[in-house]
Amino acid sequence: MSDAILSAHNLVKHFNAGGWGAARKVVRAVDDVSFDVAPGETLGVVGESGCGKSTTARLLTHLLPTDRGEVRFRGRVAGTEVPLKDFRRHVQMVFQDSYASLNPRMTMLDAVAFGPTVHGLDLPEARRRAGALLERVGLDPARFGPRYPHEISGGQRQRVNIARALAFDPDVIVLDEAVSALDKSVEAQVLNLLTELRRERGLTYIFISHDLNVVRHISDRVMVMYLGEVVEIGPTADLYTAPRHPYTEALLAAMPSLDPDRRTMEAPLQGDPPNPIDPPPGCRFHTRCARAFGPCPGTAPVPALVGRRHLASCHLNTVKEAAE
Amino acid sequence: MAVAQTDIETLATADKPQGYWSGVGRRFLKDKVAVAAGCVAGGLILMAIFAPWVAPQDPFDGTMIRRLSPIGTEGYPLGADELGRDMLSRLIHGARLSLFMGVTPVLIAFVIGSAIGIAAGYAGGWVNSVTMRVLDVFYAFPSVLLAIAISGALGAGILNGLLSLTVVFIPPIARVAESVTTAVRKLEYIEAARASGASAFTIVRAHVLGNVLGPIFVYATSLISVSMILAAGLSFLGLGVSPPNPEWGLMLNTLRNAIYVQPWLAALPGVMIFLTSISFNMLSDGLRSAMDIKQ
Amino acid sequence: MLIFTARRIAYTIPIMLGVSLVCFALVHISPGDPLVSILPPDASVELQEQLMAIYGFDRSYPEQFLRWLGRALQGDLGNSIATGRPVTAEVMNAVGNTLILAVTATIIGFTLGGLFGFVAGFFRDSWIDKLASTLAVVGVSVPHYWLGMVLVIIFSVELGWFPATGAGPGGSSQWAWDWEHMRHLVLPAVTMSVIPMGIVARTVRALVADILQQEFVTGLRAKGLLDRGVLAHVIKNAAPTALAVMGLQLGYLLGGSILIETVFSWPGTGFLLGQAIFQRDLPLLQGTILVLAMFFVILNLVVDVVQSALDPRLQRG
Repeated sequence: MSDAILSAHNLVKHFNAGGWGAARKVVRAVDDVSFDVAPGETLGVVGESGCGKSTTARLLTHLLPTDRGEVRFRGRVAGTEVPLKDFRRHVQMVFQDSYASLNPRMTMLDAVAFGPTVHGLDLPEARRRAGALLERVGLDPARFGPRYPHEISGGQRQRVNIARALAFDPDVIVLDEAVSALDKSVEAQVLNLLTELRRERGLTYIFISHDLNVVRHISDRVMVMYLGEVVEIGPTADLYTAPRHPYTEALLAAMPSLDPDRRTMEAPLQGDPPNPIDPPPGCRFHTRCARAFGPCPGTAPVPALVGRRHLASCHLNTVKEAAE
Repeated sequence: MAVAQTDIETLATADKPQGYWSGVGRRFLKDKVAVAAGCVAGGLILMAIFAPWVAPQDPFDGTMIRRLSPIGTEGYPLGADELGRDMLSRLIHGARLSLFMGVTPVLIAFVIGSAIGIAAGYAGGWVNSVTMRVLDVFYAFPSVLLAIAISGALGAGILNGLLSLTVVFIPPIARVAESVTTAVRKLEYIEAARASGASAFTIVRAHVLGNVLGPIFVYATSLISVSMILAAGLSFLGLGVSPPNPEWGLMLNTLRNAIYVQPWLAALPGVMIFLTSISFNMLSDGLRSAMDIKQ
Repeated sequence: MLIFTARRIAYTIPIMLGVSLVCFALVHISPGDPLVSILPPDASVELQEQLMAIYGFDRSYPEQFLRWLGRALQGDLGNSIATGRPVTAEVMNAVGNTLILAVTATIIGFTLGGLFGFVAGFFRDSWIDKLASTLAVVGVSVPHYWLGMVLVIIFSVELGWFPATGAGPGGSSQWAWDWEHMRHLVLPAVTMSVIPMGIVARTVRALVADILQQEFVTGLRAKGLLDRGVLAHVIKNAAPTALAVMGLQLGYLLGGSILIETVFSWPGTGFLLGQAIFQRDLPLLQGTILVLAMFFVILNLVVDVVQSALDPRLQRG
């Protein structure tokens, strides 16, 4: 798929968790993650907290150095074939905490104008454009431009953060739980804004969230992560109606549904995810999987094509004897 | 269309944007103790600047006839020192060197210490560890001991005194700067700034400095009090300023032998040191609570 | 616990090395020839070179440092240039006197400061609380050498209750636990006790206020049961922190006693330092500072270990 706008190739990120030498412990935050995103597409990323979603976002945007693997932008390796500074103009990010992601001593207008000045635009022009962008995200520049982060609401701040990302005129925006902290009504408004902007500017989104309803609403394709690995990735409709990995099934079953017939009585996922310092051998999910069988504890499954652009890493899909 | 949607949200917030500093100023002015301390400190600084116009006499001009005149002597309201020089004038002129010796080291240490601490804090990793371990070594000396050790090795003199006090105050300021910067560096707006492609230098200048210099500065002002006491202490030991210059610590030293003749006269220079030290201390406390910095 | 202690000691060693390096450097940052104070003005070049070799000043810095460090580890800090006597002996004699002064001052400072802080914390926002916090600010802002002078003026010059200088009758530098010597100790010890008093009062106040707000204490108070049990609990919980502050303050006083000792001509390390500075006796200056700084480092170590033994929660991180 060389027409991908952004692709991840075998990304690995381990964090040190103390200890030296043989006793050294590492958190396998992201372990061999690969995927790609087509231009204009929105890829949703879901998973429980601690599954490596946010780390993946930071690796994609090169805010964290990768241990192994590479990120390619339009097929060229970011950081080497595409200079980092150019790459950053094309790939932007919006963070979860709308307050922490704005400098408390900077006005909203300057926060949006800062990025373009880094790339050589002079300040008056950057401010003029910043004003237009504030207007576009629904904030009156005369009123909100001179304000500081603590003076506006969470939804307004997140609009500013979106405007800041837009100021680079990027191709891809990584949204890391960008609407998760907002009230439901505000969340809906911001989601609508994001949808409009995507249509208007031909943006590509990587939309990270733990909220499966929101992801379903906005995404063209969805990627499910578990303990630092991709377990399933596929078109939204296919994945939500016919998941091909027990973990995805469990997540969907746990989803709060408005349809009473679809509510389940028992909790489909027992306990917390295992410690990522010492993930289970074989399939990492087998310790919590209701349908684990023979090969699961011993062999790690490999991604297999289970439909059009639909991959899942589960022995159920590949090992014949399980299919009965 | 999007504008219409947000109107409900926007109604809730205040209409006039308020900067951070106007809030600080308002809170500070409410604190009566801090304002009073600020007035005293300001008065002392003005006194130092305008010493030649304020002082009634020449601080160097003395005759042995007036030697150790008591407090309340006509024309010499605070008496005369061991060489017959007007005490009041010497105390007024003494503010110049004393404040200079007390405040300058903290200012220089503020610049150098902040630079070290912010660099270490922003760099993180092994650069940070090495820097902080080196600073720990200086922490192993009580500040008085370190100041006297360096000053003692370098010998008397204003410059040597300034140098030794500066060395004493760099480690604590750098340590505070490091911890504040490390805390700021982990915030998402720094990550957002990095995502803009800005260089480390630009990020520090545009996003870090504004958020860390305030707390570091407040901490530095709290050191002025200690610095005043130490600087005068160096001169009191015969290090630092040398005679016949008027400086409070030195005056305390030379008047020490007069303690049995004119005891309260001999104690006067100390009153000035105390007054300066306590007013800077309270000023710093007021600033800290006005800026809402927890320590 | 053992691991924590070992880690803490391992962490202290590089600090000690650094401290010795700083002390070593003291001699070399000083301007002029280190021998200038003992050489006769008309000394020949040969004599000068001979002395340089004897004192080892003709070698490279790293070599000088290692040799100096090696000797220091064996307790040999060289000889005083002014008196020719071993620095170690001079310092050890003075350290004893400084310890007497510093320990007495710490005890006074802690008793009074602790009492003040306790009462202030118990009756928060009362007039006594305000008085205590004012005294704390005064305590850290007062130039202690001047306070010493004022005490001398009041209690020796005006009232004649206590002697003004020295550690004993006739300027004796040998300490003894008799009435005369104790009388000499009062003023310098009281002066010095002001340094930790404010800090102690502030710490104890915060601790007491904090503990009194814990739920079960509030519960007991609501029942009117503010008895000895609660008091014991408060003291037990405040002890590790108070102890740590105490240890650090003692170390600080050991190093910070110079100015006060000068005021009272107390024959301790500070007085020795004063002499070393005036006679430009650099080996003596260096040795005294090294010993005092090492005391401070070791005291810090001991405080940390003891404190974590009393309160195991501190062992993490």
